[in-house]
Amino acid sequence: MKLSDVMSAMHFNLFAQIALVIALVGFAAVVVSVFLARNREPFRRASLMPLAEDRPAGTPGGRA
Amino acid sequence: MTTATVAGTAARNERMEQFVYDDAIVRLFLLATLVWGLVGMLVGIVIALQLANPVFNFGLPWISFGRLRPLHTNAVIFAFAGNAIFMGVYYSTQRLLKARMWSDLLSRLHFWGWQAIIVSAALTLPLGITQSKEYAELEWPIDIAIALVWVIFAVNVFGTIARRRERHLYVAIWFYISTLVAIAVLHIFNNLVVVAGPFKSYSIYAGVQDAFMQWWYGHNAVAFFLTTPFLGMMYYFMPKAADRPIFSYRLSILHFWTLVFIYIWAGPHHLHYTALPAWASTLGMLFSVMLWMPSWGGMVNGLLTLRGAWHKVTEDPVLKFFVVAITFYGMSTFEGPLLSIKSVNALSHYTDWTIAHVHGGALGWVGFMVFGMVYWLLPRLFQTELWSKRLAELHFWIATVGILLYIVAIYAAGLTQGLMWRAFDETGRLAYPDFIETTVRLLPMYWVRVLGGVLYIAGMILCGVNALMTWRRGPARYAEPVHEAPGLRPMTVEAEPGGFKHAAWHRRWEGLPLTFSVWVGVAVVTASLFEIVPMFLIGSNVPTIRSVHPYTPLELAGRDIYVAEGCNNCHSQMIRPIRAETMRYGEYSKPGEFVYDHPFLWGSRRIGPDLARVGGKYPDLWHVRHMEDPRSTTPQSIMPAYPWLARTPVKWSAVERGVAAQASLGVPYTREQVAGAADLARAQGKQIAAAIAQQGGPAGLEETELVALVAYLQRLGIDIKKSPSVAAAATGGEGIGR
Repeated sequence: MKLSDVMSAMHFNLFAQIALVIALVGFAAVVVSVFLARNREPFRRASLMPLAEDRPAGTPGGRA
Repeated sequence: MTTATVAGTAARNERMEQFVYDDAIVRLFLLATLVWGLVGMLVGIVIALQLANPVFNFGLPWISFGRLRPLHTNAVIFAFAGNAIFMGVYYSTQRLLKARMWSDLLSRLHFWGWQAIIVSAALTLPLGITQSKEYAELEWPIDIAIALVWVIFAVNVFGTIARRRERHLYVAIWFYISTLVAIAVLHIFNNLVVVAGPFKSYSIYAGVQDAFMQWWYGHNAVAFFLTTPFLGMMYYFMPKAADRPIFSYRLSILHFWTLVFIYIWAGPHHLHYTALPAWASTLGMLFSVMLWMPSWGGMVNGLLTLRGAWHKVTEDPVLKFFVVAITFYGMSTFEGPLLSIKSVNALSHYTDWTIAHVHGGALGWVGFMVFGMVYWLLPRLFQTELWSKRLAELHFWIATVGILLYIVAIYAAGLTQGLMWRAFDETGRLAYPDFIETTVRLLPMYWVRVLGGVLYIAGMILCGVNALMTWRRGPARYAEPVHEAPGLRPMTVEAEPGGFKHAAWHRRWEGLPLTFSVWVGVAVVTASLFEIVPMFLIGSNVPTIRSVHPYTPLELAGRDIYVAEGCNNCHSQMIRPIRAETMRYGEYSKPGEFVYDHPFLWGSRRIGPDLARVGGKYPDLWHVRHMEDPRSTTPQSIMPAYPWLARTPVKWSAVERGVAAQASLGVPYTREQVAGAADLARAQGKQIAAAIAQQGGPAGLEETELVALVAYLQRLGIDIKKSPSVAAAATGGEGIGR
């Protein structure tokens, strides 16, 4: 008996549907986590990171 | 805020460290981006001209459409966009992590290794050295080089992360990590081959499974090479250019994780109504539709970053490029899920609609992001004013008009194709039964595309001039400012002030890059396995057909020539179970017909007609005439001529190696067939050459590539007709479908 025989007999057409549910649950978990009130301030601080770096001396800044 | 942050950080850590950023490597990647962008787009103009008028093929093998088209796509994706990714990643990573790149040596090895790969591609693809899989055409030695250089890149980035001076990994870095992990996985598994010569290999997968793996790769190459790194750069460069933080950091987290979880599933939507099992196709569609959500979240996040600063857009070419790029991102990611819906895809697949969609993404999203970054970086990297802001403005407007001309013309072409192919007259017959009727209708639109492309590349030249002049007016020796930041202490979340005190599980991950990367890898691999395992291991996915047999050695040689000439760039070999297709081409394609196809050659567009059932449709001599001069058999054809095929002898040693390699993959050739492959091929070649001469064609073709190609074409779709009932004899349990 081959592995493919076993797999074929296990009716894995449910396989993908289960995965879809897992993905949706995972997404919901991320959404809940992200919108917890206690995370507001850390995220605000994180969003400022690109702006927090030093500009190298002697170069023009903020100009296209 | 900058001052406050630095002061706060300094106060809580006494050990200050000094460092200098490596901007020389960023300058190198920037220049390579512009040079290869110009080359890749020039090749695009050439192939656009070839479609408008085949005279631009010049009868030369090295620049015929089938060989140049992969060069165009590879140059634009891996040379232009690739170098741009490295430019943006090297610049932003150092600054977001407050650390110089881990190793200058690895940075240089990465740069020169990548350029060597690009040169190798530019040499091998015009020579017809190709694996045939879209965006994965490069042969195995170059694939190995890509893997090595990618590892060098990854080691350098992860090394930099390891010695960073900033605890939190900003969201841009997550996008970079996902790119590093996912591209490595995709590249390795889609390019698993059996070697059949120094520059020849066969995919270890066959038919349906090979198609599945290819589009798992192909779709996710778009996702993780042309989307996630550019999103990471958007999250860094857009706030820099607008001088304000990203609209919603929360949204960026959602954007990231939903893309990582969802994108990887969507590949099968490239294979709707083909021989791919319906469950995989439906799964691909569902996840593609789900992609609407994060993609538009990302677009909104990018555009709303400009809240209160829209006035800057009018005077800043950098912001203009970014705004249009993000708008094209929104448009492309709306259209992508739309095209994945089966009923829409039934119309759009194989047409130029897909080409318009791809170019909206490539020219609009990727191209304009690159130009925005380049214009923002030029004064900073070359430490002088941008040479001409007006020239940058001109570039923006010329390129915008160029994109619009291109995509509007090609959308029209795609819809024309789709509607004409499926049109019936009042008697229920095909309204346009000759394929060429559609082709001729498209030619004006193809000329408009050329015009649009010329405008876009004219803008690119302006950008090059601006970069060159900015470079020239820069200092003879670049200043290397010394930066200072506290070293990173071992991670204790309590040590972080403010909100970080209550660090949640996600911020712990961000502080543990290895764990974070492993979870990204797990998300990508797990999602892939949910589709790949059933696809490979459930026998009913590929019911076998008793009358389907392996190709003869000469047919296999002809198939290799079909691959080398890039015929699959214009011709599909997959008839969908749609009435308009079965009436035009014959019985729809079955999974079992492709079990010996290493690699699969289903194609993705129809510049010419489908060839799945072309075997026996015309006499051998018709094919000879058609290859010598397509206009002699189809007066308005836009197919290139292939006169060299009648002059080029078949390489018999390659035939032997090819049959042996296929046998090693499980194709049921006997030992005698493997050992005598060249003799068998010669014998069949003589028979076909004699038939051609008998039909009034030229004599002496028996050892030429032309005869091998004719042998292959005459075999296509023949096997299934051998069985009177055309009944599939499902063997079940035969995992590889044999």
